[in-house]
Amino acid sequence: MNDSGALDDLDRALIESLGVDARVSNRRIAQALGVTEGTVRGRIKRMQDEGIIAFTAITGLELAQKTRLSFIGVNALPARQREVANAIAQMAEINAVLLCFGEFDILAICLFDELSELVTITSERIVGMEGVLQVEPAIAIDTIKYNTGFARITEIQPSSNRVDQT
Amino acid sequence: MSTGDFAFSDTDQAIVRELRANGRATNQQIADKLGLTATTVSSRIRRMEELNQLRVVAVADFAALGFDMLLRVAVHVVGRPASAVAQDMSRIPEVFAAHLVTGRHDIDLLVALRDFRALNDLLKEELGKIEGVTKLTPTIVLDVIKYKFDVAPIHGSKQ
Repeated sequence: MNDSGALDDLDRALIESLGVDARVSNRRIAQALGVTEGTVRGRIKRMQDEGIIAFTAITGLELAQKTRLSFIGVNALPARQREVANAIAQMAEINAVLLCFGEFDILAICLFDELSELVTITSERIVGMEGVLQVEPAIAIDTIKYNTGFARITEIQPSSNRVDQT
Repeated sequence: MSTGDFAFSDTDQAIVRELRANGRATNQQIADKLGLTATTVSSRIRRMEELNQLRVVAVADFAALGFDMLLRVAVHVVGRPASAVAQDMSRIPEVFAAHLVTGRHDIDLLVALRDFRALNDLLKEELGKIEGVTKLTPTIVLDVIKYKFDVAPIHGSKQ
């Protein structure tokens, strides 16, 4: 999807720097990388426009008031899998939906607070979808690693998200 | 790390909303919009960051970084604490998420690979050789239908 020009070393350095902390000014990044502020601004804008990077405020689970994470594996009839995946993706509690090949046909990542919410999502809503054969939630009991630096950017961020500082 | 009794106020939530709309807005711009001082904005942001409840970052697309293959790998462990095995696995750069889970597997990994050939190195040479691993069950991701990345378990995100 993002084959519109390969990234060079400067792009990668910018991604690395902004992936750790995006609240550093263009000027400070420019100084650190030995380029002009205009170059930094231009590169960031290009990568945003092309959907290579997006800026976001990532909040922790407590702040989001969803303190638990579950990986829900779903098996469904082959002819219905995409339809089921799209239906699961409509649910607000579901953070990610992956169409898969292997142990599960669909993998959904769910954020929840009370166990009863997970029961409703899996045992009522997903199981009830046409074509679903089996739903198997695994609850995360500890996060050992979660790299927030990359993800699938499925849509270009709105223009309000553009860098407008000087 | 636990947030203990710390409660996030409406001010914190308002600052987060502004940062979601524009992660690179200056403290002064946010302060002006919310009727606060830049010092307050700065200290609130720092406090949420220190409690591992906020990161303002650029997120880069898998494909743009050259990762053309996503996998979920479920891991079975025998004879060693699953947490120790997961710690070893978390040191592999291609492993971008590692969770201890309930259910039929012990560890759930999300892995990003450059191509099909990298699969052998990862499964057979790296993950498979970690002590305590008895079974690796891979699931190949064919398509990403949804990937919301603005809420995450930040305490596990340290490099």
